[in-house]
Amino acid sequence: MMMKKRLMAVMSAAAVMAAALTGCGSSSQGGGQSGNGGAADVPAEPFGDTVKYDPAAAINDGKDISIELWEWGSDELFQQVIDGYCAIHPNVSIKLVNNPWEDYWTKLPLALDGSNGPALFNVHNSYHENLINYMAPLEIPLEDLEADFTGVEAHVIDGKVYYIDYGMMTGSVYYNKDMWEAAGLTEADIPKTWDEMREVAKKLTIKEGDKLIQAGLNFNDDFHQNYLLGLNYQLGENLFLEDGRTPNVTCDAMKQVMQMLVDMYKVDGVGSENFGEKGSDSFGQGQSAMVIQWGHYYNTLNTTWTDINFGVFEIPTFDGNPYAYNRYNGESTFGINKNAAADQQAVAQDFVKYFLANDEAQIAFNLAMSTFPAKKSLADSEEIMQNPSLSVLAEHIDHYIWPGPMPSTVETSLKTAGQDIFFNGVDIDTALNAAQENIIRDMKSSTFQSVEHLYKYAK
Amino acid sequence: MFTKSHPLQSKSEIILRNIVVIGMILFFGIFLIIPIVIAFAGSFHEWNPLSGTYRFLGIDNYKEVIMSPLFWTSLWNTVIFSVVVIIFRVGLGLAIAYAIHSALVNFKSFFRSVFYMPVVTPMVAVAFVWKFMYNPQIGTINQLLGLDVNWLMNPKTALAAVIIMTIWKDFGYAVVMFMAGLFSLPADALEAAKVDGANAWQNFRYITFPLLKPMTLFVTITSIISYIQAYVQILIMTEGGPGTATYLSSYIIYDEAFVKYNFGYASALSFVLFVITAGFTWLSFRVSGTEE
Repeated sequence: MMMKKRLMAVMSAAAVMAAALTGCGSSSQGGGQSGNGGAADVPAEPFGDTVKYDPAAAINDGKDISIELWEWGSDELFQQVIDGYCAIHPNVSIKLVNNPWEDYWTKLPLALDGSNGPALFNVHNSYHENLINYMAPLEIPLEDLEADFTGVEAHVIDGKVYYIDYGMMTGSVYYNKDMWEAAGLTEADIPKTWDEMREVAKKLTIKEGDKLIQAGLNFNDDFHQNYLLGLNYQLGENLFLEDGRTPNVTCDAMKQVMQMLVDMYKVDGVGSENFGEKGSDSFGQGQSAMVIQWGHYYNTLNTTWTDINFGVFEIPTFDGNPYAYNRYNGESTFGINKNAAADQQAVAQDFVKYFLANDEAQIAFNLAMSTFPAKKSLADSEEIMQNPSLSVLAEHIDHYIWPGPMPSTVETSLKTAGQDIFFNGVDIDTALNAAQENIIRDMKSSTFQSVEHLYKYAK
Repeated sequence: MFTKSHPLQSKSEIILRNIVVIGMILFFGIFLIIPIVIAFAGSFHEWNPLSGTYRFLGIDNYKEVIMSPLFWTSLWNTVIFSVVVIIFRVGLGLAIAYAIHSALVNFKSFFRSVFYMPVVTPMVAVAFVWKFMYNPQIGTINQLLGLDVNWLMNPKTALAAVIIMTIWKDFGYAVVMFMAGLFSLPADALEAAKVDGANAWQNFRYITFPLLKPMTLFVTITSIISYIQAYVQILIMTEGGPGTATYLSSYIIYDEAFVKYNFGYASALSFVLFVITAGFTWLSFRVSGTEE
């Protein structure tokens, strides 16, 4: 595998040309992105695993053509891929348009509904239902995608795929190494089970009388995302019943997870709902010793909380042999606008194929987002393994499960339930029943269908 | 379209008038009337303009609004929020305006500007600053008071904390309005009271306050309208929490429309809220006795 990558790098380096000499323009709105990205490697030979990209194939018969690519952030990352593509196809101009996240999901569907929408756009699967009606299916054969990427089958709609995951993001435990050492803990103390985790958290907790000074574990504001919507799988329960639509949040597993969270704060005293508005901020401010966060937190710590000396370990389990370790969510590949002109769609299709076949782009995107590569050939990539938030996932990555693009009500209703339990004195059964009713009401008009049955180890 | 109504009006005046009136009609038609009609029609549908969903439901959305416990909770919260903020806004505004207007106070323009500054500061910025001040660990308020209270996540204090922030931000508006009212009071009435030997309280109670009644009514009604629509401070400071303890009616509308994309239900909520707002406004006129 490494030989293949080196060969590709040699081929890429064989022909280098400046993108500035090409017609590859770029600009953005509100993102502050500069113009052309500069020099880019131009591969001479086809590259990729099963999905191959042939740089020799002309696009739009070599005639000039312009398209737009809309996204909500990470402009430089997108620009690098655009530069690489346009270096191969100097007749193609791709304008990068940045819309802030808050505006993106309103502007994009309305633009796609008209005739002047972007041919390419970045996708987040939480907005699947608002976008899917405007998307053109990928022209890459399904079996080729399945050969190269994990999780493709979960994206198949009537035999077609509109976007797939390039990376998988999930939760891991982030711990403060200085606090760990100060508590007399070593690498050998890294917990494998929740019982061990609770004991370690107790050792990391510091109090002055009854006043909490340092939380051993902090899950404020994100318990619903990082515990309730994930640990149920460890106990063998899916988030949705067999019909794929009825939520399963009143199951015993969910109650057990919720009870464990309550006990950690109320019995163990390793944290408090009043200690730090957000666990993630509290950890970054050096007030909490451990948090469970998703992959993006690795980059947050490295950019925002640079003073924190942190390590990462895999999420504990209840018995060491879970049905699944946790839930994951995919970072999605680009969408293609079905209402765009045919020649623009052709460019967009070609660009997506280039992105999928290009290992460098795949690694760059996964590292930037701290997601585990969905591309199978990159699972043991050296660059990926150097990121501790990704390397801790490698051993059991096939034991993570994606429920599908859940409507936001699943998260928000469980957040409300948790707040009712911690702050409003509501008992667990009542709070989870209310969440169940709320989710059912909100999902009445949703087309969501769980894909939990496609999990490799589904029962 | 418009006929000459006064013999002295010139043709150019009539043309100008017609242009302005037509412009206003077009403006309100396009940006107010048509959207309201669309929203009203949408309130009878399952409607998501982003996915293109538009399915007739009859009055189901309205039934759901009426049957929703969260709607009634939020409505009660809205009433508490609005009444308390308006009482303090009007009371503080009147008291401070009266104090500044007094002959004992110099630098009137300075004080007027100081009290008005929070009003012109964006609500988003103010809400973020106050959220930080309310932080249980590092917030100024706990440090100053020597307390350990999670103001925004305690169901007993969360709504009060938002109310206090809103009063602080908004009472300056009432100060400026009441000062304008005080400066326009007829001097002869005040002079007459003075000649009759009225003390300061009698002067305020029987002369100034009654003469400020139209301004008080104006501030109250504009406050009712704006506070029934309040949601930004909730969005930033509590997101409706803890649980649903600080949900206001407008926050539900925001949540349904722009988080869940349930525009039909959100539209139904909006029209129910519109009726309630109209009711409160009518009530204000009745209470003030100036509905005519």
